[in-house]
Amino acid sequence: MKIQGTGITKVYNQKTVLDIDQFTFESGDFWGIIGPNGSGKSTLLRLISCLTEPSSGKITYELRDKGQAIKRSMTLVFQKPYLLRTSVYNNIAYPLQIRQVHPPEIRQKVEEMLTSFQIESLADQKAWTLSGGEAQKVALARALVFNPELIMLDEPTANIDPGSIMLLEDRLRFHYEKFKPTVLMVTHNLQQTKRLCSKVAFLHEGVIHDQGSIDNVFGPDGTSLVKSFIQQGLI
Amino acid sequence: MENILEGVKDALILLTTLDPEFYTIVRLSLFVSLTATLLAAILAIPAGIVIGIKNFPGRKIIIRIVYTLMSMPPVVIGLIIFLLLLRNGPFGHFSLNFTPTAMIIAQFCLVTPIITGVVINGTKERGQDIRELARTLGASRSQTLWLLIRELRINIMTAVVTGYGRAISEVGAVMVVGGNIRGHTRVMTTTIAMLRNMGEYSLAIATGIVLLLISFIINSLLYYWQQER
Repeated sequence: MKIQGTGITKVYNQKTVLDIDQFTFESGDFWGIIGPNGSGKSTLLRLISCLTEPSSGKITYELRDKGQAIKRSMTLVFQKPYLLRTSVYNNIAYPLQIRQVHPPEIRQKVEEMLTSFQIESLADQKAWTLSGGEAQKVALARALVFNPELIMLDEPTANIDPGSIMLLEDRLRFHYEKFKPTVLMVTHNLQQTKRLCSKVAFLHEGVIHDQGSIDNVFGPDGTSLVKSFIQQGLI
Repeated sequence: MENILEGVKDALILLTTLDPEFYTIVRLSLFVSLTATLLAAILAIPAGIVIGIKNFPGRKIIIRIVYTLMSMPPVVIGLIIFLLLLRNGPFGHFSLNFTPTAMIIAQFCLVTPIITGVVINGTKERGQDIRELARTLGASRSQTLWLLIRELRINIMTAVVTGYGRAISEVGAVMVVGGNIRGHTRVMTTTIAMLRNMGEYSLAIATGIVLLLISFIINSLLYYWQQER
């Protein structure tokens, strides 16, 4: 899914947190959205996912305005995901249930996800008893199970164990290579960006300061601001 | 102390002798309070959820009004409903004063702010997270509302139980609008008040024990249902 934005601003309490003239995320690209804290990365995802409205400007999806069909074909995974107060199985099945998928197909797809994320043994466990890493696996499985065209991830591997990070990255890469959705991933992890993303956008004080391929942004031709942030370990 | 012990004995007698008048009182108490609670829940649960998650002008003042109404004295509510239903009042042509319907209306007005207030509290805490999750997974408006009700069910159950507890135990409102007419609008709380005035303390205690017992059974059923889910 191709996403375009023009003249996007977002103002909270008289403070402009986002001010982007124009952006385009082409269909099938895997974008890393990086930048220091408070640079507007999460706000950008919230705007694209229609969780909040821009103060000005317009976002289009495949050149269309947002609508229920568009909203149904995208998802956003938060750093601290909210899991439904039910079993792991039911959590993963939920997006399929609201799309009226036939029960045998739901069972098959959920079981595939449980196996893929190595959480078969947790299927009947209550979601509120899971560890942080397990919860994030369930959240990602739930987001991928309905095969959205646009996947947004807001620091999906922050504060979880290295083993879980490896598995989540692996599953994400596998899903991306198989279905080629558009992926926008906010992260503070530079190495992770290099491992997963094909393109990167650097935000600073609400503005997209630099964007392009990994080699361009992080290479010798990258801007001095990006280099300075990398050297100081701020991203 | 003697009256209380006598009351326990009388409570057992009341329950085992199947006194028709007493069972009429119990039936009417349950009918009035459960109907009022059910009707209040139908209005207050969606209202509490909407007020809890939506940001709109006047929201804060509405929440303050709801919280204030939660502590409204039942007798005042009874008096207002009584005046509204008086023959020469705005709703006098319905002739509802001194009927179980008037008692249901009074208890509905008493319970609605309580259920709304408790639901608002629970929704403020987790409602936004649930709503955002529903939206990010592609749920429609009605699917989002249903998910909110499902996820907040423990809070909603607490609200309903609290509202029911208030309804079944109040005496002021039902006394004013119902009039404690024998066989027609007499409920357990008005019976207790009347027996106390008559000096029939042990019988009043016995009725109180039965009232508590019924509340215990209903709360246990709701608690069991809540645990099961």
